Parts: sequence; C-alpha cells; structure tokens
Amino acid sequence: MHPATHPTANASDGRTYRTPLLRRRLLRGMLAAVVALPLVGAAAACGGDDAGSDGKVKLSIFWWGGDARAQLTEQALDLYTTKNPDVTFEKVWQANQGYFDKLATLTAGGNPPDIFQIDDNFLAEYAARNATLDLKKYADSGDLDTSKFPPSLLQYGEVDGKLAGLAAGENTQGLVYNKTLLTKNGLPEPTTGMSWEEHIAWAEQVSKKAGVPGTQDPSADYKAFWVWLRQQGKDLYAGTDLGFTTEDVTRWFELWKGARDRGATPTPDIIHEGNATDITKQLVVTGKSGTSWVWVNQMPELKKNTADELGVVAYPGDPSAQWARASMYWSVFRGSKNADVAVDVINFLANDPEAVKLLGTDRGLPSNMDLRRVVSDDTTDPAMKQSIEVENTLAETFGEAPQVPIKGHSKVRAELIKAAENAQYGRATPAEAAAQFVEASKAAIAS
Amino acid sequence: MALTTAPDPTRRGTGSVRPDATRRGTGRIRHGEGLAGYVFLSPWLIGLMAITAMPMLLSLYLSFTNYDILTPWSEVEWVGLANYERMFTSDPSWWHSVRVTLSFALIAVPLKLAAALGVALLLNRAWRGVGLFRGLFYLPSLLGGSVALAIVWVNMFNREGAFNSFLALFGIEGKPWVNDPDWALETLMVLAIWQFGAPMVIFLAGLKQVPTELYEAASVDGAGAFRKFVNVTLPMLSPVIFFNLVLETINGFQGFTAAFVLSNGTGGPVDSTLMYTLNLYITGFTDLEMGYASAMAWVFLIAIALITVVFFSTGRFWVHYSDGEDR
Repeated sequence: MHPATHPTANASDGRTYRTPLLRRRLLRGMLAAVVALPLVGAAAACGGDDAGSDGKVKLSIFWWGGDARAQLTEQALDLYTTKNPDVTFEKVWQANQGYFDKLATLTAGGNPPDIFQIDDNFLAEYAARNATLDLKKYADSGDLDTSKFPPSLLQYGEVDGKLAGLAAGENTQGLVYNKTLLTKNGLPEPTTGMSWEEHIAWAEQVSKKAGVPGTQDPSADYKAFWVWLRQQGKDLYAGTDLGFTTEDVTRWFELWKGARDRGATPTPDIIHEGNATDITKQLVVTGKSGTSWVWVNQMPELKKNTADELGVVAYPGDPSAQWARASMYWSVFRGSKNADVAVDVINFLANDPEAVKLLGTDRGLPSNMDLRRVVSDDTTDPAMKQSIEVENTLAETFGEAPQVPIKGHSKVRAELIKAAENAQYGRATPAEAAAQFVEASKAAIAS
Repeated sequence: MALTTAPDPTRRGTGSVRPDATRRGTGRIRHGEGLAGYVFLSPWLIGLMAITAMPMLLSLYLSFTNYDILTPWSEVEWVGLANYERMFTSDPSWWHSVRVTLSFALIAVPLKLAAALGVALLLNRAWRGVGLFRGLFYLPSLLGGSVALAIVWVNMFNREGAFNSFLALFGIEGKPWVNDPDWALETLMVLAIWQFGAPMVIFLAGLKQVPTELYEAASVDGAGAFRKFVNVTLPMLSPVIFFNLVLETINGFQGFTAAFVLSNGTGGPVDSTLMYTLNLYITGFTDLEMGYASAMAWVFLIAIALITVVFFSTGRFWVHYSDGEDR
C-alpha cells in the first residue's frame, strides 16, 4: 500500500508536462504485458502433464498431519512404487490448519491432487460438488476390496448413494478423564454407560473434592450433541434436513446450564478456551477440567501433553449411540487422469498387509478387520494400546452409522458454537440460543 | 516502507521552498530511455496484470455467480445480483461483521493517531537517546500484522496472562480479556493502537517541516505552548494528519491477522471478533461460497473507496497546504 503512493504521486505531478507521450507509452507497455501473459500461462501449463506415453504414471497425493504420519505414509507409498515401478508419487503434506483452504485452492487452480485425505466435515461438501470420484463401481468389481471392512464403516463413506471416500481408519467418541487427579482425591472413575445426569453429578463431586471442574462443558461440541441426539432417537441430519428440533436443542442447552450452575464445569471463558484451540490445549491436558470430550484416537496425542495418567470411556448414556466413524478418508479426484491407478493405490493402503502394518494406527484403527487384529497385537505404545482396547470394547456396542454430515455442516458446527456460547456467557437463555441455532442452521444447509 | 513515503504528504508544502529539479529533468527523457524504462518496469507491469488486475476482474465476475471453488468453471452458474441481495437482506452475520469492523475502526483509528501524534511530539525534541526511543516506539509497527505478535497478545491477555498479574499488584481482579466476548474486540483495539509506530514516524517527519519562524513569531505574540500547538502545529501538520488518517482507516478496516489468530479463525468468542475480512475468509474457504465471498469483497472495496472520497471532500475544509496552492 505504502509503496503504491509513490508512483501515483509522481504520475500526477508529471501529467501536466507530457500527457500524450506518457499515455501512449503506458498503453504500449500494458499491451506488451497483455501479449506476454498467455505465454506465461502456457509455459506454466506445460509442466502440468503427469501421464507420460510410456506407461509411467505420476500420481499426486495430499494429506494433513505431522512428521510421524508423513514418514509412515511416504514409506507405504514407496512400497507401492517398489511393487509397481511404473507408478511414482508427488507427495504433499502439511499441518491440519489451512489444509482445506489449500485443497480447495489447488482444485480451483486446476491442479487438484489425484488422491487426497478428507474427513467427514468436508466429505459431503466435496461429494455434493462432484469433486470426488464415485468408488462404488470399483468396490462392486472388487478392484477396491472392502470385504473385510465393518459394513457401517464403509457405509459412512457414502454420500447420496455414491461411495465418496474410503475410510482410512476408524475411531469413535471418547470421554477422556484425568486418572491421577481422581486417584489422588479418592474419587471414582467414570464408566461407560453412566447416564448424563450421573455424569454431571459425578463431575460436581469432582469439582468440590478435587478443586478442579469435573467436566468440560460440551454443549458447543457437535459430536457430543450428536451422540446425545441419537440417544433421544433423533439424529444430526435427516436426509437434507436437520434431524432435530428447537425443543431438542433447548433441552441440550438446559442440561448444561444446569451443570454450569452446579459448578460441574469451568467458567465460560475457560470452556471457550478448550473449544477454540487444538488438541494440545484440551482442558484435561491443561489441568483446567477433569474430563475432555474427544475422539478416542486422539489419546496418544493427549498423553504427550501431560504427565498425568489418562483414562477413556464412552460418552455418557447408551453407548450404542456411538458408531464406527471414519477418522478420515482417502478420496480420488473425479477429474484424475489416472483414476484406476489411484483407486489401486488406496486399495493398497487399506488392504496390503505390509502397508497397513507400516501405517499402524496413525489414522485410527485399520479399516480392514483382519489386519486390524494384527496391528493391535503389534503395537507397543501404551496410550495407543489403551485406545485400541476401548475402541474394540465399544465396537461391540456400536449402532448403525449415521449419514455423513451434509453440505453446510461446517457452518452448522460454527453456529452451534456461537449459540452454545451465547448461553454459556449468559447472553441468551437456552431456549433463545436454541432458536437462534436452529434458524441459522436451516439457512446454512439451505444455501 | 513508511519511512520512504514519509516526506510525501509534505511535498507540496516544500515545493515552493525548493525548486523541483527532478520534474524538469524527467520532461526531457529521450525515446530510447523511455523504452528501457518500460522494459525494466515490465516485471512489475506483468505482475500487476497477472496477480492484481486479472484476479480482481475475475472476482467481479464471480461475485455474480454461485462459484464454490470446487466445481469446474464450465459449471459455474450466473446468479445475477442474488449474492448482493442476500448480503443486504438475509445475512445477519454479514451485518454483524460490518458492525464489528466499524466499531473497531471508529475507536482504534483515532486513538492510534492520537497516540502516534502524542509520542511524536515528545520525541520531536533533541535530547540524549531520543533516537533509541524513536526506534523502540517504531518496533511494534515493524512486526505489523504478524502472527507471532497476536499469539503473544493472546497469552498476555488471557486469564493467567501478564496483564492480569500486573493488575493483581494493585489488588484489581482481571478478566479473561481475550476469551470474554465483551472484551475480546477491545483487546484487539489495544493491540492495533499499540502499533502506532508507522504514523508516528510520519508525524515526526511532518513536525520537522514546521518552520521554526512560525513558533518564534507566535512566541513574540505571547502564545503559550498550547496555543502554539493549536494554532501552529496542527494547521501545519494537517496534510500529514490527513495522510495518516486515510491510510490508517483503510488499515483498520482490513484488520485480519490478529482477529484470525486470537479466535483460531472463527471470529469468536460469540462472533465478537468477526471482522469483515475474517468473515469473508470464512465464507470463501470454510463455507466454500467463493462467489458470495467475492461479492462481499467488492462491497468492501466500494465502501472503503466511498469513505476515502468522503475524507478527501471534507479534507478541503481542514487540510492546509502552506504554499497556498490549494486554498
């Protein structure tokens, strides 16, 4: 901005002296630029060709995650290249933050990756816009082997009857609690199957005895709301509509208003802090609450950030409301020139014994049940062992998977946070906040 | 950056004192030299066309479509004025972000300029070590919209932050400033005001240009320090004030980084920091409504242009150029 003030100032000074010449030169310069532009574009486009005529294929693949995941994934892909020397990869990965911005921008720029990692927050967004290849025909023909997948996990990749993504791993909702804190204060541990009322009463007891708020208030957390809804016989979405009413949300918000009033949860600003930041700042890790509402496969990551011992159980209420959730998926871009090879690669990542062993549980439990057993026998990480155990125990109680969140889901999530926080900060009654949330959500999924 | 532009607003003021040799010099460029000029300029020109002008025109086009960034160009639908209509008639969060941005700019910009002018007056004297202080006050501006600074701010102004520890020394109980919807935006304003270094440096340059004869004459007439400030400094400084006002207002409207970092990209708590540009970013990249986001961007551009026009038209009444060219 600042530098731009210079040329303009000078130009306006000069104009009085030599207008015609300047303008003509300026025009000629602009003309030159216009002529030169397509050349630049053409030069850039030349580099984009990936399929050579000699049968060699270069696939681009894009995922989010840390160093450890990158190493494992690269090893698995190299293994594929060893077995299929004609196929090489252009691997791009980055941290979670900004991943979807970049994926969307790459797609818009006309060079989307052939294979990309995606999660259930965005799967329907991409599928509804026809950005993902329908994998159904490959699954039917057996080119994509899904026979060893739990049916509900496979189903959780379907959007509008199309298979939009292949589950790269499985996880489920988990209530993580600080074991050390409870033992020190002689308090009981939470158990799977305790009711929501029991959970809040337990949390109140923790607040009183341990001096640390017993539970993080999850009223702004869509996954806790979702499990609770399913226990009421409702769901987050029903087809292209919301699966719940204003009354349901009011009851949900009132449940947690009661908990806050009883001192079972931290104050609103602390709750917000837990909601707004990444996994490393979860309240159970920062010592600001006795429990956090997370995904079971986040346990090892949580464990890294605290010296205390952690335990994990299902969310309160009937655990059959939980389901085998695809922690993330592999999707193939619809416009990929090498779609068949790309499908073979994700098939390899899901079903090749060596590859699956390499990848371990980094993206959740392996989707292939036979190989899952092998991997869980092999793991040595105690936190990971624990989360596998919990997942396996819970898996026996799992209900049917819900439909994948619909287009507009990310906005619905944001609206839930806004409404729940309005109630938490006392700016609205639960009923007002619920009405606001339902109205905003309807607008979000309609557009 | 700001340093090089500093003399600009006072250009005209000094024009009468110093004959402008450069102007006459450039008038006699020969043809070959002109061509060479454009050859050297061409990277910038191409850049301007390719990464500024073309995307802008493209976004103007997209603002009339339902472009969502993922679907191919061929499937983009023309929706006419629907995006603009939605913005003004049925998008409460758009209106909310307009209000947040306006209150931010209306409060933070004047206070920032006042702080800049105040400190510039203090640092305009010749005392030992003044250079060091000028540098120190300018430092926060150099850090600009940096992410690191915003993170520091979050940590300073949360419940356990340094600011509350400081308040505790006086027995005052603090607040969770950045996590309190009543205070989060105000915390961002303080951050913006604190970065007053750039306008301060420009003010300093302006103050140097005020002829000392005027102060001497005022002293002779018996004017005190306050009178001198009101009747000499302020009028002589008005072109600089004007320049800073326009620039900082535009900057203020565009505040993004701090709000983004502080709220983890959400505009929270409870939308209290949902600045216009942040809302635009969320709309385009999270909600994947790039057409609508483009429309928002164009309304934003026009709004800033209008505000600047208003400044320029009112400027005639209070901006004084000492050589009398404009009056």
